[in-house]
Amino acid sequence: MQRLGSGRRVLGTKNVTIYIVALIIIIALNFLLPRLMPGDPLMAIYGDEALVQMSPQLEAELVQRFSLDQSLWHQFGAYIGGLFTGDLGHSYYYNAPVFDVILGRLPWTLLLVGLSMVLSTLIGIVLGIESGWRRGSRTDRALLGGLMSLNGFPDFFIGMVLLLVFGVTLGLLPLSGAVTPYSGLSGGALVLDVLKHLILPLAALTLAHVAAAYLLTRNTMITVLKEPFMLTAKAKGLFPRVLKYRHAGRNSMLPVLTMTGIWVGTLITGTIFIEIIFSYPGLGYLMYEALLFRDYAVIQGVLLLVATIVLAVNFLVDLSYTKVDPRVRYAH
Amino acid sequence: MHIDLKREVTRSTSGRFGIGLFSLILAMALFAPLLAGYDPLAQSEVSLHAPSWGHLLGTNHVGQDIWSQLVYGARTSLLVGLSVAAVSTTLSAILGAASALIGGLFDRIMMRIVDAFIVIPILVVLVLLAAYLQPSVWVLIIMLSLLGWQGGARTVRAQALSLKERMHVSAARCFGASRWYLIRRHIVPELSPILVVGFIYSMRRAIFLEAGLAFIGISDPSTVSWGMMMKEAMDFSYLNAWTWWMIPAGVALSLTIIAITFIGHSMEPAMDPRLREVVEGEALA
Repeated sequence: MQRLGSGRRVLGTKNVTIYIVALIIIIALNFLLPRLMPGDPLMAIYGDEALVQMSPQLEAELVQRFSLDQSLWHQFGAYIGGLFTGDLGHSYYYNAPVFDVILGRLPWTLLLVGLSMVLSTLIGIVLGIESGWRRGSRTDRALLGGLMSLNGFPDFFIGMVLLLVFGVTLGLLPLSGAVTPYSGLSGGALVLDVLKHLILPLAALTLAHVAAAYLLTRNTMITVLKEPFMLTAKAKGLFPRVLKYRHAGRNSMLPVLTMTGIWVGTLITGTIFIEIIFSYPGLGYLMYEALLFRDYAVIQGVLLLVATIVLAVNFLVDLSYTKVDPRVRYAH
Repeated sequence: MHIDLKREVTRSTSGRFGIGLFSLILAMALFAPLLAGYDPLAQSEVSLHAPSWGHLLGTNHVGQDIWSQLVYGARTSLLVGLSVAAVSTTLSAILGAASALIGGLFDRIMMRIVDAFIVIPILVVLVLLAAYLQPSVWVLIIMLSLLGWQGGARTVRAQALSLKERMHVSAARCFGASRWYLIRRHIVPELSPILVVGFIYSMRRAIFLEAGLAFIGISDPSTVSWGMMMKEAMDFSYLNAWTWWMIPAGVALSLTIIAITFIGHSMEPAMDPRLREVVEGEALA
């Protein structure tokens, strides 16, 4: 996986075109898919269940709003115009604008993805440095075998096992949700309650993703250890700990930073599964509900927002890369 | 760059482990009708039965034999994994090599598209597509292939670009070799190690995504899928049934992915010789 992805950096770092192309693909998909489906486009945009509850006035209003009685180009103009004003459509299930529905769920996903990103990367880097440093030793082999196997367990399987063991069987932690409903908690008690609900989803997500950072750091560590500057550092008589972390470890972290952008994508994918299992009220669970109730507008909104987040993070990583490794700037 | 991947895999412990495990799952898929004992989709009155001699892993909520479902699930996973890997690797070979050999505007447009696809979260796109298309297994395979060739194409392109400039290729060109001859005799054989590694990783991704989509509820109702079994078992988590229903399906899926991961990992030193085992005493520590 790393091998296939890492070639990406060959390309200029400030290449904004990729992000624009990616966004165009998503928007085109959102716009064209419902309109290319056979049958009434209104039904395709809103799902057949929605139409049953619809009055003729509302239908006329929606046709006018999407300019469905006009040419495809005209419709596209109306669609783009809507996007710029934050109009992602109307969710019939929640009977609210899609934008508001999504915004309400976003913080939970950000909390889960953000924390798990930090945790899995940190743990992965430290384990990778330790493992690469004593390559071939018993510790290294155990870590490598263990984490590679862990890498094989799909996030949703890890999540289910954690839920069934710690939630259902042992009854130690809550089974679903992000807070205890109707508890009226506030202050410290509320924070504690949120944390209690967060532990299992966070653990599942982190366990499933720690191997990526570990494997990458270990590989780079092995190549960095063979660099001449390591020999010089060793000849200077530096302590092994300084050698390991300050000289080798620091240089092994660059590829990890490069991959962060890609990992945000895989983590968001993982979060979708984890949120479904734990009924955690983030974007993933929202999308799952929307799929169940055929609330197409919400799925499209989630896709657009998630894509924008992933693209933004990738863009930021690109920008920070020149700061961390000045050589990149001169290379272009 | 002459690489013998077969030797590389059989020589390493993790490679042999992966091959062994994968053969086992492949055998399970091939001999499914012999191993199963029941039609995996046939319903009966014995529902939610605990494991017994008649039903090795018990039965599910509509009385289907879980062991038979597990065995047939291997077929779906491997069918999707192998087909998607074959199609998307072929696509990345053709499009990546074409990009390198044609160059110019075509190359630039191709690479922008590839980069755009690499950063798009595929699962969400798949969910949206599936919501509209209600895919059968074959449509799913096409969808996964079309969304899976991009990373490989970039690697193939990079390798083809460097091959194009090698001495022996220039020599062949001087002797009047046609473009097609060059591709067939010089470019493709040298690309094959990269393609094999790409094949392995796209198979792993496809198996994971198929199970994941089935877990979300997107699957072909006429086939049995491990992801679907896990989803159904989850609805009965308050019973003990998950121990012989969800766990076997999850373990089978994980073992398949682990086997592929180990095979892929054992190929890495061949692709990057700096990762080769160090000679005793050479290590810094």
